[in-house]
Amino acid sequence: MRPELVVEKSHAEKARRGASQADVAWRRFRRNKSGIAGLSIVSFFLAMAAYGLFLDPVPPRSFACLYQGCTNVPPFTTWAHPLGTELAGIDIWQEIIHGSAGDLYVGVVATAIAVALGVVIGAVAGYRGGISGVLLLGVTQIFFTLPVLVIILLVARVSILLVAHGLGLTLIVLILAAFGWPGIAFITRGEIFRVRELEYIQASKALGASTYRILFRHIIPNILSSVIVVSSLLVAGNILTEVVISFLGFSDPSASTWGLTLEEGLTTVRSSWWVSFFPGLAVVFCVLAFNLLGDGLSDALNPRLRE
Amino acid sequence: MAGLLSYLLRRILFAIPVFLTVSIITFLITNASGNPVDLVRLGIKNATPEQIAALNAYFHVGEPVYTRYFLWLSQFVRGDMGVSLYSGTVASKILPWVLTTLELQIPALLISLGVGIPLGIYSAKRQYSKGDYLVTTTAIFGVSMPTFWIGIMGIIVFSLYLHWLPSFGAVSAYPPYWWGSIPADEVAHLILPLAVLSLVSLATYVRLIRANMLEALRQDFVLGARASGISDFKVTYKHALKSAITPVVTIIGLTFGSLLAGAPALETTFSWPGLGYEFVVAATSLDLPVVQAITMIITIMVLVANVGLDLVYALLDPRVRLS
Repeated sequence: MRPELVVEKSHAEKARRGASQADVAWRRFRRNKSGIAGLSIVSFFLAMAAYGLFLDPVPPRSFACLYQGCTNVPPFTTWAHPLGTELAGIDIWQEIIHGSAGDLYVGVVATAIAVALGVVIGAVAGYRGGISGVLLLGVTQIFFTLPVLVIILLVARVSILLVAHGLGLTLIVLILAAFGWPGIAFITRGEIFRVRELEYIQASKALGASTYRILFRHIIPNILSSVIVVSSLLVAGNILTEVVISFLGFSDPSASTWGLTLEEGLTTVRSSWWVSFFPGLAVVFCVLAFNLLGDGLSDALNPRLRE
Repeated sequence: MAGLLSYLLRRILFAIPVFLTVSIITFLITNASGNPVDLVRLGIKNATPEQIAALNAYFHVGEPVYTRYFLWLSQFVRGDMGVSLYSGTVASKILPWVLTTLELQIPALLISLGVGIPLGIYSAKRQYSKGDYLVTTTAIFGVSMPTFWIGIMGIIVFSLYLHWLPSFGAVSAYPPYWWGSIPADEVAHLILPLAVLSLVSLATYVRLIRANMLEALRQDFVLGARASGISDFKVTYKHALKSAITPVVTIIGLTFGSLLAGAPALETTFSWPGLGYEFVVAATSLDLPVVQAITMIITIMVLVANVGLDLVYALLDPRVRLS
C-alpha cells in the first residue's frame, strides 16, 4: 500500500505509457484525509485480528478471573484488564481482540463471495441481454423487495441448529453472500450498459475478439472501480448484520464475535455498562472505517468527479 | 392517467412473485430438517406422545412437502395464520404486534425525513463549510452504528444513570411512569426507542439527500431557473429538490423491509412488543407457526409500502409512468 512501491514498480513502464489508472486513483485517494483514516483503521483492525488469531497468549473467553477473583472489574482500574471484565471474569479487551477476527472474516469473506458471484452474473446478464438479462433483473428486484434481515435471521437460526456447530461463522458468511450478490449484480449490469456501447468495445469486436475475451479483458476491468466502492460499503453492511445476528443469539454461540459480547452486555447492563460500551465502540469504528474507505475510494475512482 | 394506472397495476402484479418467493423460502427454511416437528422438538425436549401426535397432525406430517406447502399457504391466504405452540392463535395477536411496530416506525420515518431533508439541503448548499463537515461527520458515524447499540447506550444514560425514562416495554405494569397518567406513560416509553431509530434513519437520509442535491444543484435546469430570476428558496426547494428526492424514495422503499421488520434488534433491546421483538422471541423458542406468520406479514407490509412508494415515485417523476 505504500506509494513508493507502486511508483517504483511501474517506473519503466510509466516513462513509456504515462501514469496508470491505479496511480491516478492512488494519488487522488492519498489526498483524501477521511479515506486515509478509513484505510488506517481497517489496517489496525486487520492487525488486531491477526494478533488475536496467532499471537495472543490469552485464549478467547478465558475464565481465569473466575478463580483469581477479578470478576466484574470496572474499566481503567487495573493494567491487567484495561477495559474491565464481565460477571464471569471474561476480559473485555481480549473479547474485542478475538471478536475482530470473527467479524472481519464474516464481513470480508461474505463480501468477496458476493462480489465474485455478482460481477460474473451481472456481467453475463448485462452483456448478453435477452432472457438472462430479464431473469436477472427480476431476481434482483425480488431480492430488493424482500424483508432481507428477517429472512437472514430465520435462515441463520435454523441452519445453525441443524448444521454441525463447527461450521459456525462460515454458515453466516454463506448466508450473507447469498443475500449480497444481487446488489452487486445489479450495479454491474448497469455499469455494463454504460460501457458496452463505447468505441473501444466496438473496436475489439471488429477485430474479432470473443465475447468471453471482451467481457473479462475489456469490460470487467473498466467497471471494477464502481464495484470496489460498493464492496467496501458492503463489508460495512455485512459486519453490521453479523453483529445483529450474534446479538440476537442466532449465530454460533461458540464463535467469538463482538455481537455475542454485546448480547451479554445487554443482559448485564444494570451492573456493568462497560460490557456493552466497548465492544460496541469497536463495531462503530470498524464499520466507520469501511464506510470512510468506501467514500474515499468513490471520490478517487469516480470519473465523473475528476477534475 | 391511464399510464399511471397501468404502471400501478404492473407494480401490484410484481408483488405476487415476491410474495410467493418469500412464502417458499420461509416454508423451506422452517422445513429444512425435512420435518418441522423435528425442529420444534429441538426446543421442546420433554414433549409427551400426545403432544407429538398433535404436532404431527398440525404440520400435516406424512404428506409430501409440496402438499404441506400448499395446505399452509392456502390457510394463510384465507386468514388462518396458524396456532402458536405456546399461546393461542396468531391471528388473534398479530394486529397489536403490527400496531406496536407502526407506532414506532411511522413517527420515526416522519421525523427522520422532516429533519433529514432540510439538513441534507443545508449541507449540500454549503458544501465544504464547517456546518457541512459537522453534518457529514455526524451522519457517517450515524450510519456506522448498530441501532440497538445506541439503544443500549441510551438506556444506560437516560434510564439507569439519569432515571429520566423507562428502559423497556411499551407501557409500565403499575404505576404509570410519568405523573400517574397512562397516556404520558406511553409517551415516556416511546421517546427513547423513537429517538434512536429516528437518529439512525436520519443519518442515511441526510447522506442521500446531500449527495443527490449536490448533483441536482449543478444541473442546467437549476441554472436556468436561477437565470429567470426565481428566488433561491424556490429554486432549491421546488426545482432541485424535486429531482433530488426521487432516488430517496427508492431508498426508502429498499430500506423499508428492514425498517418495518421493526429493526428486530432494536425492538429486542427495548423489549418493545412489536413484530420484530415477537419474531425474535418466536425464532428463539422455535415457535414455527408464529415465525412463518410474522415473516409473511412483514412481507405483505413491505409490499404494500412499496406499491405506495411506487405511486409517490410515479407522481414525482413522470418519466417512470411512461417507461
